[in-house]
Amino acid sequence: MNATAMAQPGSQTVQTEKTGGTRIELARCTKTFPDGTRALLPFDLTINGGETLVLLGPSGCGKTTILRLIAGLEFPDAGGKITFGEDDVTRQSIEKRRVGMVFQSYALFPNMTVAENVAYGLKVQKVERRERDERVRAMLEMMHIDMLADRRIDQLSGGQRQRVALARAIALRPRVLLLDEPLTALDAKLRVKLRTEINSLLRKLGITAIYVTHDQEEAMALGDRIVVMQKGAIAQIGTPREIYRAPLSPFVADFVGASNRLDGRIEQNSLVLGDVKISLDQIGHAMTGDPIKNGDSNSNSRSGQGLADIYFRADGLAICAPDQGQIRGRVEAISYLGEKSRLTVSGIGESVITLDVDPDFQIAIGDDIHCRFNPERLTVFGRYPDARNAAQAM
Amino acid sequence: MRRGWPFYAQLGLTVLLCLFIVVPIVMSALAGVTVNVFKGLSSGLTLRWIFEVWDLYAQSILLSLWLAVACLVVTTLAGVPLAYVLVRRPNRLTRMFEEILTLPVAIPGLALALALLITYGGFGSFRSSWVFILIGHVLFTMPFMVRSVAAVMSAMDMKTLEEGAASLGAGFWHRFLHVIMPNAMPGILAGALMVVTLSIGEFNLTWMLHTPLTKTLPVGLADSYASMRLEIGSAYTLIFFVLIMPLLIAMQMLANPGKKRRAALQPAEDE
Repeated sequence: MNATAMAQPGSQTVQTEKTGGTRIELARCTKTFPDGTRALLPFDLTINGGETLVLLGPSGCGKTTILRLIAGLEFPDAGGKITFGEDDVTRQSIEKRRVGMVFQSYALFPNMTVAENVAYGLKVQKVERRERDERVRAMLEMMHIDMLADRRIDQLSGGQRQRVALARAIALRPRVLLLDEPLTALDAKLRVKLRTEINSLLRKLGITAIYVTHDQEEAMALGDRIVVMQKGAIAQIGTPREIYRAPLSPFVADFVGASNRLDGRIEQNSLVLGDVKISLDQIGHAMTGDPIKNGDSNSNSRSGQGLADIYFRADGLAICAPDQGQIRGRVEAISYLGEKSRLTVSGIGESVITLDVDPDFQIAIGDDIHCRFNPERLTVFGRYPDARNAAQAM
Repeated sequence: MRRGWPFYAQLGLTVLLCLFIVVPIVMSALAGVTVNVFKGLSSGLTLRWIFEVWDLYAQSILLSLWLAVACLVVTTLAGVPLAYVLVRRPNRLTRMFEEILTLPVAIPGLALALALLITYGGFGSFRSSWVFILIGHVLFTMPFMVRSVAAVMSAMDMKTLEEGAASLGAGFWHRFLHVIMPNAMPGILAGALMVVTLSIGEFNLTWMLHTPLTKTLPVGLADSYASMRLEIGSAYTLIFFVLIMPLLIAMQMLANPGKKRRAALQPAEDE
């Protein structure tokens, strides 16, 4: 009975936050480090109230720098502006911004117990003792770590530590929750489990959240929208589906897992690959114009002539009967993955191609196979100089 | 299990070495409580020499303790923030500063004292006060405090801890007092014991800097060896020993903190 009374302040928080997460805007922001390195090229970014935005990209792409700009751990160059709702926070220090942060290394205070860690922010804000204890209790219960309240940090497992870090970050009801690769230090199985928990926590709180990761799968699972970053610039912003199915550049296609690449040509509204000819209308996602001028894949420059880069995942090419085959390859390696087998095939492009088959399919290393393209699953980029450079730089 | 001759040879050597070190200590301590050293223990045991040493040198002993405490206060107040800056902002300037800070340990105390005398010897009342010796001691012991604190600080990822605390609204002083200091405490304690021990035992530098009115414990010891009976010198040693031993033992215990605690409490497994 006591427990329900205790849980109430917590659930009230959930209610109030759900109705209005803070909207965050970064306008004309750039970041140059003291040594002259341009960490972030000029960009604008809006994060809607209550939205979970994932910053995705390889290390050194600037995703963490954006997070630190929003946190107030770094400041944008002159001219940039950051607002939380109506509040201009551009020059406000992190102490005043009311953000919650979760770090890859947890950053828990080793000199305090679990409960003291969660209470720290409330203590700093001089929240009265009774209310503080209640809120700490509610937080620990919500994260299912109430039985660990009196433990020291060095007695916790990695997963437990990350739960404490989350509880500590949301205990102050921050305007935005910032997560910097929070799951990277954990093993694969636990990562998936905690990812699901974080996802439902963020939905439940309705809090604006920004999540930095280099893991495409994590980004897909958590993000309402994903920002793919490349060398200090935003390469694409979109829903997980858009990023996955309609990448705007070879870099994005490759980064979100379309790891097979072939060289082709575009001739009279068709993709030509050796003897194979596929109408561009059948292709799942074709970008033959300059994506910077017209990001729309249905632009009329689709019929342009020239070279093309073809990207696809393991489902873009399938084994078929010899008489229906479009191209031939040779099996170099087979990995059995349980629900499927992944083949590494040579002889189709310059580099090897991976494709999936039924795990019971009888095949051996060295076999010749005949394949057909699945046009729906192909992504085609007309080769314009910019895209080529981007692809080479990877 | 039968042990071969190498084991007994090693054991014998170890015992011999230990005796080599321990016997003079015991002899010296015994000499301090023997009525007449030249007659040996047969002359009987007495505490007379100890009382006599206290009568003669109480002031030196108290001054030493006072200096050690003052030195500890100064090195802690200056050394902990200094270590913080050195760890938090590693650049060429701070590295150079760290080198300079360590110099007094490398340079013979006599040379350091001479430099102080040449520079400040002219200020009469300053030169003859205990503060003059304190400055020498602080210069000499500061690197031990700074090094010991800096070692602990660089092991604890202060930057991220501070960022975490700042995101929860804590300003610099709150972070420093409630997050940095408690976590650096093992280093501060180890440094403190080192400072106190070194300050009490320091002779070289102090001998040059002292005046007849600012004699410290080790200076008094030299004095008693030179001008008193052997029994008094030995009794003095005994007092010194009693003062310094607990500090050394505490230092040893701090050197490996929490070993037992950590062994008893294994970190939990992930579910």
